[in-house]
Amino acid sequence: MNEPARAPVQAVEVSDVSKRFRLELNRPTSVKEAVLSFGRRDVRHLWALRDVSLTIEKGSFFGLVGHNGSGKSTLLRLMAGIHRPTSGRITARGRVSALLELGSGFHPELTGRENVFLNGAMLGLSRRQMASAMNDIIEFSGVGDQIDAPVKIYSSGMYMRLGFSVAVNVEPEILLVDEVIAVGDEEFQQRCLQHMERLRSGGTTIVLVSHDTALVRDLCDHVGWLDGGHLRSVGDPDEVVDAYLVHATEPT
Amino acid sequence: MAVNHTDPSARPLRLSPAARTGARLVRSFAERETKALYKRNLLGWLWSLLKPLTTVAVYSLVFGVIYRATAPPTANGQAEVFALYLFSGLVVWNVFSTIVNGSMRWMDGVSELRKKIYFPTETALVGGAAATLLQSSLEALVLVLIMAVLVNVSWTVVFLPVAMLLAALFALGLGFAAAIVNARYRDIQHLTTIVLSVGFFMVPIVYTPDIVPDRAYGLPVARIVELNPLNSVIAVARDAVYFLETPDVADLATAAAWAIGTFAVGLAFFRRRSMAISEEP
Ligand SMILES: Nc1ncnc2c1ncn2[C@@H]1O[C@H](COP(=O)(O)OP(=O)(O)OP(=O)(O)O)[C@@H](O)[C@H]1O
Ligand SMILES: [Mg+2]
Repeated sequence: MNEPARAPVQAVEVSDVSKRFRLELNRPTSVKEAVLSFGRRDVRHLWALRDVSLTIEKGSFFGLVGHNGSGKSTLLRLMAGIHRPTSGRITARGRVSALLELGSGFHPELTGRENVFLNGAMLGLSRRQMASAMNDIIEFSGVGDQIDAPVKIYSSGMYMRLGFSVAVNVEPEILLVDEVIAVGDEEFQQRCLQHMERLRSGGTTIVLVSHDTALVRDLCDHVGWLDGGHLRSVGDPDEVVDAYLVHATEPT
Repeated sequence: MAVNHTDPSARPLRLSPAARTGARLVRSFAERETKALYKRNLLGWLWSLLKPLTTVAVYSLVFGVIYRATAPPTANGQAEVFALYLFSGLVVWNVFSTIVNGSMRWMDGVSELRKKIYFPTETALVGGAAATLLQSSLEALVLVLIMAVLVNVSWTVVFLPVAMLLAALFALGLGFAAAIVNARYRDIQHLTTIVLSVGFFMVPIVYTPDIVPDRAYGLPVARIVELNPLNSVIAVARDAVYFLETPDVADLATAAAWAIGTFAVGLAFFRRRSMAISEEP
């Protein structure tokens, strides 16, 4: 195939990525234990991802589906730079804002407001930029006065609302969302979806992990299916989701 | 991970985006540490002086009064106050020990966070060290003010912050390593406390270098004290505020070499290993 005249810009490039976790059962947690358990170690390795390659075009809405433990969250963490691949290369171009599981990126002892500033700093934004986004963030999160209370007293919904609010209000170039919207109430879920649509039409690339296949079909323009760490297929949402559902309902 | 934020219009002298992010994070972590310590009020700041001043008082009582230790005379020959001799060394030691101990705590404070969001973890430790320096500068200020009352100040006082900074770099280098090891072996923090309490007596803080015997119990004690990396840092601080002499170039060079070398090695080790810690379940 020849290079097209104007190659689409790749926001995320994953090439031959494998990720191996090290699991050590009964790992000594002190020098004392290490000395006493001298030599006896039970180290196992677990491949969470195996030779995964995919590219996500700038501005697209990419969905990831797969069974529990198939490696979806691991792949998002690699894209966010939280983990490093064991082999292969992963490149994300632009500011990555990630919303991974509950309470991601908040320090429990700090207030909501302090956490917003800290998050902003981590994402490479200045205090002034964060201060000007602060009102929007507070308004969208709906935490109100509790913004000045330590986040450890927040309800799980509030935690998630504030997290989402930060993630979408920092003008990310790439937004990674891992199955978090489900925690919010109906009204909040609707607002999240509207926000994602707005970001997407502004050129933000979105990667969404969800077990809600109807939502994935609805929102995404490309879908990848992970199965036991392998990328089974990637492409048209309906085709991939159908294949996944057939596989999911097959007796094993 | 390669996250490119290249801005071609950026002027060459400005910090790179990664460096700017790092600087902002250091500032955030430093502020957090400072706020946690003082809750932003003056009484809190004064409170922070209680511990070092108590230490000075107790050691002066034990060594100066009970054991009748004498300090060499100050530059103007007026004061032979053991407490001030002690204080000038203690200021530097406090920077050192607070940072070594704090590093493990600062690491623990962000390790859960680091599992959920990427940021250069070392910024938490550098921020903590910066907060420590700020707090210690208050101690240093008190010391210099007392010296001023005794008319024992000179321009050489500018070397006091230099000594404190070198002590901080040296401590951070060790703290980086301690934080990584402590993340796996939780009793390292207790071992560190023990090592530090021994270390305190291996530097001439509560005694003068000249009273150390050459050999004792078959050990070259004087040599051990002399070769101790902190010895030269403390010598610089003493020259700066107590003897009011330009610090010995050899002392400065030794202190700087140890500080920068230890910092660089510690940071490299930390960067290599901190990724693996964020993967621990
Ligand atoms: N930090 C870790 N250390 C060790 N093993 C891990 C770690 N994180 C994930 N794993 C393992 O990697 C595999 C993939 O996990 P991952 O969280 O990516 O799955 P998932 O597709 O997100 O599942 P779910 O749908 O339940 O969220 C699992 O077997 C899991 O136990
Ligand atoms: Mg998951």
